[in-house]
Amino acid sequence: MKDSVADPIFEKKRERRRQLAKLPFERKVAIIVEMQKAAVAIRKDPRRRVWPLDR
Amino acid sequence: MEHALRVVNEMARLGIIKSYAIGGGVAATYFIEPVLTYDLDIFFVPAKEGIDVLAPVYDYAREKGFPSQAEAILVKGFPVQFIPAYNDLVREAIANAVTLSYRGVEARVVSAEYLAAISLQTGRAKDRERLALLLEAAILDRSVLDGILREHGLSEKFEKFSRIVHEG
Repeated sequence: MKDSVADPIFEKKRERRRQLAKLPFERKVAIIVEMQKAAVAIRKDPRRRVWPLDR
Repeated sequence: MEHALRVVNEMARLGIIKSYAIGGGVAATYFIEPVLTYDLDIFFVPAKEGIDVLAPVYDYAREKGFPSQAEAILVKGFPVQFIPAYNDLVREAIANAVTLSYRGVEARVVSAEYLAAISLQTGRAKDRERLALLLEAAILDRSVLDGILREHGLSEKFEKFSRIVHEG
């Protein structure tokens, strides 16, 4: 079901995702690491490990 | 991740695996926005067909001192999951892989069209989500995708999936 009030918000989110898709692969991998850190912090699960990234 | 990629390239060079291509979340991330994933999936063609095609991979990992965790091998803490090419579609995806570069290391990755077809064929919730993202990103060459789907009997499944996505 579509909601005309929510549509512009979803469109902005899609645009944000389009922009993220254009980032260099290296930057995208760094973002995954940040997502992993957040996910591990939310749900402590020993099977979930944050990838080490050499700086 | 570059260490892991170097190790996989070295395995291919030494003939421990015949050929390979990155799949899963890392492959998706290459083509679309970053996707949360916890390992690097490597589809590979075994050097020798047999019962235990993973044995040479694990032997090499042990030799190099890389521990294993669940089904993955940890390369400097980075989990790498080796998945033998389990059907014609995956074998074809490996053969038609494209090259990516990560921090100066080149590696093979399944193309967006094969990633879409494999996601459709596998069909778990995360695969369906990945396929929807690939379609929405409008990066797929439809004639290439249609050819792959036809070849592997997935056209009807794709039509059903597309209808659900558009109606949803």
